[in-house]
Amino acid sequence: MTLFKRIFLPAVAIVTLGSLTSVSWAGDVKGKVLAPGMRSPENIAVYVDAIPGKTFPPPTQHAVMDQHNLAFAPHVLVVLKGTTVDFTNEDAVGHNVYWPAINRNRKLAHNMGTWPQGVSKPFTFNELGDVPLLCNVHPEMSGYIIVVPTPYFALTDKAGEFTIKNVPSGKYTLTTWAEGAKPVTQAVNVGASVASVNLTVKR
Amino acid sequence: MDHEPQRTLATRLLVLSILIAMQAAAPDAKAIPAFARKYHTACPTCHNNWPELNDFGLAFKENGFKFPTDDEDFVKEPPLMLGAPAQKEAFPHSIWPGELPILPIAFRYSGYFNYNRPQPPGLIAQNGYVPATDLFEPNTFTIIAASSLGPSLEFWIDDDLATGGSGADGGLGDAYLKANNFVGYYLHVPKNDLNVRYGQFEIDLPFTQARTINLTDYAIYDETAYVNPTGKGPLAGTTANPFTFSSPQRGIEFGGYPHHGYTWWSVAVLDGENSLYGTAPLSARNSKDVYVNFWQGWNLERNPAIRKMIQAAGPTGIHDHTWIKFNAFGYFGRNDLNQGGTLYAGLPTIREPFYRAGGAFDYRFRGNFELWGLMEHAHDSNEALNPTGTGFVSATPVTFSGGFLEAEYWFYPWLIGLMRYDGVNSPTDRLNGISRYDTRNIYSPGLQIFVRPNIKLESQYSFGYQQPVPGGNRFYRDNKFISGIDFAF
Repeated sequence: MTLFKRIFLPAVAIVTLGSLTSVSWAGDVKGKVLAPGMRSPENIAVYVDAIPGKTFPPPTQHAVMDQHNLAFAPHVLVVLKGTTVDFTNEDAVGHNVYWPAINRNRKLAHNMGTWPQGVSKPFTFNELGDVPLLCNVHPEMSGYIIVVPTPYFALTDKAGEFTIKNVPSGKYTLTTWAEGAKPVTQAVNVGASVASVNLTVKR
Repeated sequence: MDHEPQRTLATRLLVLSILIAMQAAAPDAKAIPAFARKYHTACPTCHNNWPELNDFGLAFKENGFKFPTDDEDFVKEPPLMLGAPAQKEAFPHSIWPGELPILPIAFRYSGYFNYNRPQPPGLIAQNGYVPATDLFEPNTFTIIAASSLGPSLEFWIDDDLATGGSGADGGLGDAYLKANNFVGYYLHVPKNDLNVRYGQFEIDLPFTQARTINLTDYAIYDETAYVNPTGKGPLAGTTANPFTFSSPQRGIEFGGYPHHGYTWWSVAVLDGENSLYGTAPLSARNSKDVYVNFWQGWNLERNPAIRKMIQAAGPTGIHDHTWIKFNAFGYFGRNDLNQGGTLYAGLPTIREPFYRAGGAFDYRFRGNFELWGLMEHAHDSNEALNPTGTGFVSATPVTFSGGFLEAEYWFYPWLIGLMRYDGVNSPTDRLNGISRYDTRNIYSPGLQIFVRPNIKLESQYSFGYQQPVPGGNRFYRDNKFISGIDFAF
């Protein structure tokens, strides 16, 4: 009993704690996206693609896509599947929001209508893929909502750099979305430390 | 009395009148890419089918070529300030200082392909030969300069640099300065209720001819009252009034658009001289004409929430909602002939008052469909030489009436169908040999395709009215097909 108490129980406790700790290990995925031939490496979405057997509840907090100064702001918004996006209008002119397809599926086209300054309209995105936003009042305006399957995503900055924070350890597939470029996928192994990734997207 | 010069003059006027009434003139239309550059916004912001203005474009224009609210936030290429904004503190009750727009220039080119029904010999002898096919006629290149000049001034100048052929001269269209809210500010009139425009401009017609989407003029806008200034026409009298609605006029105009643009008014005092079609000295006169125009519109959005939202947002809040507008307009002038005895030596000036009065409506169903129409009645006093040749007596007035009805449907934002009817009832024109019947009907379906937002392919078929062929009991219908390319940059 003494031996059992002295050696076996602490060992079990250590192993149990260790395994629990290993489950909750989470690291950051950092990297840089190169975009040769493209105007800028900014606003490229990088996200952990679907994880088999895992689903994620959508956030209760709404995301916001604003229309300000005749532009969608932000230009690219990445959201988890099931997220509700509030479309707001800060301009003193009327704006419309519509999308001709979601993930190139034209059956999912939708017109939100036109509304003036100060009005907000919500929409919940339950389909994965890119949603090209347009305004039929101002054809030069464009924006994108990227609906992704996991909450692990980031947008590149002006230098093309990104950080996806708090990714549980494991092996995943990173996927990119860039305006006018083909998606790129790359495997990543996330452990306790920071995982570094370099990606290259091309038209 | 030597009548030869008078006959020559009369013939010229008659031909001119016929040409005005019959010719498919290229509309002197305008679109302003300079504003697109200034605000970095595309043509559809102000036009659903340029050069026709949509609700926002109209509000933008009436606000002095500025966004009605928060204009500075939208400007991407700011003008050069002629004085620091703080100067305003030194002179708070003035419009000084101003601003200099950065190259507010735009250009427009339009060229048409025409297919004309072959003419019978009698008409060729009378009007000259018109080929069955005609490439790029007219061939028009226009320069347009327009901008705001500070908080309450705007200007506009457009000139056809070339039209009708290589190096051919065009003409000045509109050239005016407009003060927005400036006079109203001192008179304590609410904003937008009183603006003043000065210069040469298309009068505030119920439906613009200068910015029409059609390839031919509205027939009623080109209609003139003509008997014969020499008194030797088929009708008794001297009426030869060159006035048409489609020509620019010189004058001063007061106007405004209260109630977010649902009410629209303008009153103009005009020189009355028809600078394009008038033939001096007949059209030269000292009297001034007066034009009044009034619109009242109603918001027809059926959903109460949307209707209230539109009302609350003002004229630019919602783009092209459903509305209907009704109009009344009137033009009152006087046409003088025989100044200095040029027609009838020793006799006084012939003064022939005239008016044009009518009404119009305009219905728009959101951004998809629009139906509009206009009806007008014209009346010209008509003086005839008395039997002794010593003075003038009143003869039967010259009257005509007519209008148009037009529908526009957007199949897609880039594909637009048009259907138009023009009707003019003028017994005088029938007697002058212009038409077989008193009423001239023209049906004009059309299709317009935007291959780019600033490049438009246009087509129109006009099923015309019957006109007599000289030298026989035959009649000819002047049908024609017009297609064209139109782009602005």
